[in-house]
Amino acid sequence: MTASRGFAETLAKVKPEAEKLMAQYPQKRSALLSILHAFQNAEGWVSPEALAAAAEMLELPVSVVESTASFYTLFFRRPVGQYVLQVCRNLSCQLNGAEEIMAYCREKLNVRHFETTYDGLFSYEEVECLAACDRAPCMQVNLEFVYDLTREKIDEILRAMSAGNFEVAPLPQTAKPDVTWFVAHEGEKKSPGAQGVSSPNDPGGIGDPSGRQMVERIVRDPRLVEARPTAERLVRDGAARLEAGAEH
Amino acid sequence: MPVSKVLTRGIGQVDLRDLKVYRRRGGYRQWKRVITELQPAEVVDLVSKSNLRGRGGAGFPTGRKWGFLPNNGRPRYMVCNSDEAEPGTFKDRMLIEETPHQVIEGMLIGAYAIGAKQAFIYIRGEFKRGYEVFTKALADARDAGLIGEQLFGTEHGVEITIHRGAGAYICGEETALLNSLEGKRGEPRLKPPFPAIKGLYDEPTVVNNVETLAFLPYILKNGPEWFAQIGPPKSPGLKVVSVSGHVKKPGNFEVALGTTLRKLLALAGGPRDGRKIIAVQPGGGSSACLFEEHLDLSYDFDTMAANGTMLGSGAVVFFDDTTDFVKAAHALVRFFAHESCGQCTPCREGGHWLEVTLERILHGGGLDSDIDMLVAVARQLTGINLCPLGDSIEPFLASVVKRFESQFRGYVRKRAIAV
Amino acid sequence: MNGAPKEVTLTIDGTQLTVPEGTLLVEAAKRIKTDIPVYCYHPKLGPAGLCRICLVDVEKTPKLQIACNTTVGEGMVVHTYGPKVEDGRRAVLEFLLLNHPLDCPICDKGGECDLQDYSIAYGQGASRLADPKEIKPKAIDLGPTIVLDDERCIVCQRCTRFDEIITLEQSLVVKDRGQRDVIATATGTPYVSMFSGNVTELCPVGALTSKTYRFKSRPWDLNRSLTTCVQCSAGCAINVDERHGEVLRTMSVPGDDAVSEGWLCDRGRYNVGFYSDPRRLTSPLLRRDGEWVQLGWEDAIDLWARTLHEAVDSAGPKSLAALGGGRLTNEEAYLIGHVFRALGCENIDWRTGRQRQASPGPRGGTYADVESAQAIVLVGVPPAQTTPIMSLRIRKAVSQRGARMILVGDYALPIRVAHERVARPRDLASLDLDRYERIAFFWDGIDPRVGSELNEFAEGLAEGRKIFTYVTGETPNARGAEGMGLVPRSGGRDSVGMLAAARDGNLRSLAIFAANPVLHMPGGADSVRGAIENVPFVVTTELFMTPTAERSTLVLPARGPFEKSGHTFDVTGAVRVLRPGVAAPTGTLSDLEILIALASALGVDVPGPAALHRQAALHAPWVARGFGDPALFAEGELKAPRAGAKATGLRLVIAADLFSGGGTVYHDDRLGELRPLATAALSEHTAAVAEVHDGYLVDIVAAEGTLRGLVVRVAPNHVDGTVTILEGLPDAPASAFEGGQTVALANVRAARVPVGVA
Repeated sequence: MTASRGFAETLAKVKPEAEKLMAQYPQKRSALLSILHAFQNAEGWVSPEALAAAAEMLELPVSVVESTASFYTLFFRRPVGQYVLQVCRNLSCQLNGAEEIMAYCREKLNVRHFETTYDGLFSYEEVECLAACDRAPCMQVNLEFVYDLTREKIDEILRAMSAGNFEVAPLPQTAKPDVTWFVAHEGEKKSPGAQGVSSPNDPGGIGDPSGRQMVERIVRDPRLVEARPTAERLVRDGAARLEAGAEH
Repeated sequence: MPVSKVLTRGIGQVDLRDLKVYRRRGGYRQWKRVITELQPAEVVDLVSKSNLRGRGGAGFPTGRKWGFLPNNGRPRYMVCNSDEAEPGTFKDRMLIEETPHQVIEGMLIGAYAIGAKQAFIYIRGEFKRGYEVFTKALADARDAGLIGEQLFGTEHGVEITIHRGAGAYICGEETALLNSLEGKRGEPRLKPPFPAIKGLYDEPTVVNNVETLAFLPYILKNGPEWFAQIGPPKSPGLKVVSVSGHVKKPGNFEVALGTTLRKLLALAGGPRDGRKIIAVQPGGGSSACLFEEHLDLSYDFDTMAANGTMLGSGAVVFFDDTTDFVKAAHALVRFFAHESCGQCTPCREGGHWLEVTLERILHGGGLDSDIDMLVAVARQLTGINLCPLGDSIEPFLASVVKRFESQFRGYVRKRAIAV
Repeated sequence: MNGAPKEVTLTIDGTQLTVPEGTLLVEAAKRIKTDIPVYCYHPKLGPAGLCRICLVDVEKTPKLQIACNTTVGEGMVVHTYGPKVEDGRRAVLEFLLLNHPLDCPICDKGGECDLQDYSIAYGQGASRLADPKEIKPKAIDLGPTIVLDDERCIVCQRCTRFDEIITLEQSLVVKDRGQRDVIATATGTPYVSMFSGNVTELCPVGALTSKTYRFKSRPWDLNRSLTTCVQCSAGCAINVDERHGEVLRTMSVPGDDAVSEGWLCDRGRYNVGFYSDPRRLTSPLLRRDGEWVQLGWEDAIDLWARTLHEAVDSAGPKSLAALGGGRLTNEEAYLIGHVFRALGCENIDWRTGRQRQASPGPRGGTYADVESAQAIVLVGVPPAQTTPIMSLRIRKAVSQRGARMILVGDYALPIRVAHERVARPRDLASLDLDRYERIAFFWDGIDPRVGSELNEFAEGLAEGRKIFTYVTGETPNARGAEGMGLVPRSGGRDSVGMLAAARDGNLRSLAIFAANPVLHMPGGADSVRGAIENVPFVVTTELFMTPTAERSTLVLPARGPFEKSGHTFDVTGAVRVLRPGVAAPTGTLSDLEILIALASALGVDVPGPAALHRQAALHAPWVARGFGDPALFAEGELKAPRAGAKATGLRLVIAADLFSGGGTVYHDDRLGELRPLATAALSEHTAAVAEVHDGYLVDIVAAEGTLRGLVVRVAPNHVDGTVTILEGLPDAPASAFEGGQTVALANVRAARVPVGVA
């Protein structure tokens, strides 16, 4: 296996920790999640090299390690921003105004669910209950809690982060400026509150009977096309439908 | 007799994370007593007598759960479940972050009682702070000779390993948790066999909730009778209840089981000014809603079950008259669909179906027939799943559709007008 | 546990039955011919409890139970139909069909799809889904053989469980979770397995399909016949599905528990395209003045008979020789001996490759014995590449019964399994094997010294133990050929001796039935070619113009295994039946027919079918005296490694690959990427020492010659200090080399284009 030099350094750092973790359990495979956490702490995300390295340490096929990693939403399998903002969208927060907070975050950051800002500073995700319902609405920034969110508080946090004096220790920066990353573990899907369409997979149906919105949206924002392997088909079907519509 | 709180005592006043503080207040004395004076069977007996029921959700008697372990000479494991992710629940996070030693002492006692030499605590991945606090507490306790081999001059000992999850609600289900602890996908296992027979690494295993274990030192200290006489006899003891939603002062409240919901509401500061509570979800996202007429019900396992809902993990969410129950239902259905492991058909497909349907209704694409379909689909995906997650979707949805059908119809009507 | 298992009596749909304790309801129901629908459950994979379609009503339990994970109980009363059960199944089917595309008209599974069948039986007809169905990728290329249609997948996980439980390879996994979950391999890694085709059969819907069969046919248009696969010596039962004279696909046989357990390897499954390859020979060809001329069958046989008589008359029967390969049935092998011995010829042999022995001696075992072995000793070429289905039994013994796995020699295992390794059979003595009661030994039948050393060791252990011996060599029906007397007797020459005689000008006529010694015989292609060219009259029966056929005087177009009937022995010595499954091309004859024609032209009496069977049965019990039986190695003993190779060199390992070969594999366009590249495989350590990297090109140099342009493959499972090359590749024949000799790597260069991803 040929690893990049950067990763060799990461590996040198993680390996002793991993050895210790593996020794804690009667079976070393148990350390898989902890080892992936260690790689993510070091690199900001779980890279393909990290998956391969974990597989080698645990004597597992890479496929198994990857399958396991993909099950858990906290493992980022693409680079993320310096600050990962995870706003709770579940019940208690919703009752206390999470929707407004989420809309405000999306507007301020100009990103949607699972996206990273172009400057590589922020990744934004809407997540399920964080067990801080007494301080709703809440979010985590790099897994540290921020409670009692208001518009003003969001402004304040974002300002501090942009200025580099936000007090939560950041994850190492991994997303490069001017590149939009998607947090990979969940693909680009649904969450209407986040995206403003009934379903990105919707090629027609009740909300969008012509499929026109869908195609227009894809034309407007080709990033979507790259993000989803089925987009080609959407475009093709949708274009055919548009053409048929134009004839009438 | 006035009931005084035990688990939450001192939180916010003293730093219970400090081992010295905890010990000064009597900490680890019960652990020492247990390991030096009591036989494991005696501990099991005491806990059985206390009638302590699991605080994680199912409410199964803890002593009986321990009794299922076969006597086969195989290694046994104690696992503490701190994968707290049930919507509305935040008590375990508090216990882990604020009083970790109490949890450690409970784990040690529990492990000793079932004859386990190694105990694991599975901490939810999102609880980074909790993980750090607990790691330090474990190190302190180990340094103080409270964890490890041959403790207090005896030949007994318990090792505790901390394990961090990585974002999966389903790992709160005990067999999914065990898979995750083994480094696998957190998919629930097919039962039988049950964990008591084939659990972690296929060995007999007990999985107990954080709060359940944290009560052990107090039950041993004050005697099982003390615990058993608090609250209703079949569902006795104290309970940390997480109250949130439309209340003025949400928070964790340690109360005697049998306290009324109205009392809980009052403890949490009552409804917001000028508002009226019209519904309450008494046991986390998986429980059915109760309504204003139920506020005087006794909050305990059996009364909740008798009223078609459950106490669950003790997460009480109050809803006032401003609530949009379509959105609330959508939030919970979306949650369960998001957290479905995808193994078995009804939960994977049905949850997603309900989610897209509610989404469509919320966005003005609802049909009149959708409302009945929601209830019917939720019904038909219940009772045929591999694990309880799939069965958790129906209760809230069905109860609020029934009660607030007009809200759901309202969304559909809005569309009709728009068209 | 001792004694007979306890019995339990229960009632299913009003019928009382008694079954052993621990039986699953789904299996118990089969006994009274009640079919409970299943998707994720499979008898060989066990219960998974995922699909939830097998719901049944068990009295005294409030909820419906899944029949696949409910064990029978005394007095249990079960209903497999009724409103409650049907409601549950209807619900599950509605969920399964919710996002399943209704592309049945173009789906390869259409007509044999469990989702279709159960929808008709239990479904509700219409879906209540008002939203559009989820759209997912339609044709994901998983690897050289398999395509995944993610929309059709119902995530029953039969495929991933097969890859985990049966093959232990775990290359297919589920990724992501919930509604987004998908069957996949590790990113950037194709699904490569020797058993990949099985997942298409396990798939209850049309999600996993074989590239060779996609959009080829509807199942009801196929004609099915049951025969035996003779691509290797495993002897799996196989269903041949044919249409318009073309084999469109092959399928496993679920009841074949004695041998294949319902699985097939990819060679057996996919190497069937050669039957309809346009390069098939369809007319006898005679080489006259360097040109091939077509000949009628009668003329060809007459010419052959005449030359045989002339040779006997002029130079005696010792100037005749006959070689027969592994494609032959027992009857054909017997007839070769019968006809040539009638002429007084004893130069008869089946050994046209490296394998020198086929039957393992008196301690042979069955397939079931492999499973019961507590220790498994693999000597030489591992069975995975020569008899893949046998290797599944070995994996089962290791994974499910905890058998200890020991390798002797330098060969690499294809999968990651805990094992120990020793250099020579006598080193086994250090491993305390005497604490086991049942031990299985596998040998490749190549090197008699290794064989007899192993035999000696096994004999020493035999007292009070069960020893099972197997020769899992490279030649398909070698055991049949050996058993039917295709070996030299009373002073006859073996294959090595024949070639030596040919070189010396002492052979006048050589007949080669279904064999390709130029590619496979030790000594090197040039040497074998030279020997053959030195024989005045060489007849070869072949399907294709192989390197051997090219050097022959007369080439007779023969028929393939699916085109004829007869019997073979499998690797354990059991008789398996061949039946024709597809019409042979016009102009071809089976070797049996050719031999009968030849016999009649020679005036040799041929036994009738009944007598032939009797004769064959009489010969069947013939077995070798043990591994490395000296009687089988009288002549042509393999030489010790020659001096002259560089001392600093590497030990050469000549491995088999399931898809190496010059005949049927080479002439099968369906195999595509499955054919191996000519590689030189090294361990990471060796590669580092030799300063080569994956994808480099190297030459292998030894006194015997040079193999040029091998692709370097660095893999962790190889023994340090060895380099592994593949036997039987037409473009890089390894036959000039010997396993164990030292070789050097030379002419190392980086390839211009990175080669392959596998």
